[in-house]
Amino acid sequence: MPDTEQGPVLKIENIRKRFGAKEILKGLSLSVNKGEVKVIIGPSGGGKSTLLQCINFLVVPDEGDVWLEGNRINHAKKRELNAYRQQVGMIFQDFNLFDHLNALDNVLIGLVRVKKMKKDEARERALSELTRVGLAEHAAHYPAQLSGGQKQRVSIARALAMDPKVMLLDEPTSALDPELIGEVHAVIRDLVANGMTMIMATHQIGFASALADEMIFMEDGVIIERGAPDKILLDAECARTKEFCAKISPIAGDG
Amino acid sequence: MEELAYIQQEVLPSLFQGLWVSILLIIPSALFGLLLGVVVGALRVFGRGPAALLASAYVTLFRGIPLVVQLFIWYFGLPYVGIYFSPFMASVVGFSLCSGAYHSEYIRGALLSIKKGQMLAAQALGFSRLQMLRSIILPQALRRALPGCGNEVIYLIKYSSLAYMVTCIELTGRGKILASHSFKYIEVFLIVGVFYLVLVTLAGLLLQQLENRLSLPGFEFHKA
Repeated sequence: MPDTEQGPVLKIENIRKRFGAKEILKGLSLSVNKGEVKVIIGPSGGGKSTLLQCINFLVVPDEGDVWLEGNRINHAKKRELNAYRQQVGMIFQDFNLFDHLNALDNVLIGLVRVKKMKKDEARERALSELTRVGLAEHAAHYPAQLSGGQKQRVSIARALAMDPKVMLLDEPTSALDPELIGEVHAVIRDLVANGMTMIMATHQIGFASALADEMIFMEDGVIIERGAPDKILLDAECARTKEFCAKISPIAGDG
Repeated sequence: MEELAYIQQEVLPSLFQGLWVSILLIIPSALFGLLLGVVVGALRVFGRGPAALLASAYVTLFRGIPLVVQLFIWYFGLPYVGIYFSPFMASVVGFSLCSGAYHSEYIRGALLSIKKGQMLAAQALGFSRLQMLRSIILPQALRRALPGCGNEVIYLIKYSSLAYMVTCIELTGRGKILASHSFKYIEVFLIVGVFYLVLVTLAGLLLQQLENRLSLPGFEFHKA
């Protein structure tokens, strides 16, 4: 994919968030260029999820700014916020498919309700996204009838249908059986191959390192170290990064 | 034999007229009540500031004052401030407002049971609050609230009998008139009771049908 844009697709600067007395994010900045994949690793409770949710204001940061293609997002303006969110695909750890809708309608509803697409057109688009994640034959199944891996693939199709400029993936395979992780990884790998810009939090180090342009090690609300995957995993400068990667690598025999 | 003729020629025709009035009272009251309950329940969960406060005040008031007293206020009280309701209108207004307060609590409970992730997913797709409520939250919440709301409708069928207190002569009112003429209280009110029983049974079947129709995988009841 040619890089036609000047500057990053998404940029966040000095994001801070505290819940009560605990400061979860202590002034984080990062940016991602078109087609880039940034992977956030680090221990649970370190603020990875909160950071991703701050990026599309599911959690409203106390301080800090977010830019999409050079435009600063004013999250207090609902219309602007909703328009921004349409362009940022979000994948949750626990899928969050709409329980009362079948797979097809899960993908379709955003197109019809938010993008105001005609129903026929939306159905066609939704079906093609389900096909892309290999679930066309499950279109009529409800979330309760799908496996975890299938649910996560539907949720990816749902996000893709909105034509996002960037995707945020919050530990997309953490809630899955080991057997089901592979099918979701295959879909994500396919997205990256097609040039999707993304920020992903994950514990699947092996999988992530093969995709990442940059890896970011985060703990206690700060970025400890960032760099190319090889550097972070094999030759980290910071002792804490080394320690974390050494612990996680043996169990990261994922594909 | 004389008894049977009395029942056939006087009691039943009169009670059927009353039954018809009862049905005309119950249907709009149930519909308006449910509608009101959805709006008030949603306001109590998702509303902010004065709207949420107003919704809470409404529930406190209409759940806290006996229905007969409410009906008396609508029918006998409001004329003092220049508002005149017919007995029928006063009853429908009274029933709807009372029923709405109870419905809203069932709806509120159901809304609170919706997982937060459902809302996060809708917001992340760019849904506005109203769109989210309409397309994601309410379709799930109404399914969960249905057994409770059905219960309220059944209850409404029976408290519609209070309409005769404000001179809207429905089923119970007819029974009262018949009985005080003939002094056959037992016969007349046993029949009135059977009429209500049939109404409630039919409503129960209808509600069960509705529940079955709206049932979806993942929303059905699992026997442990």
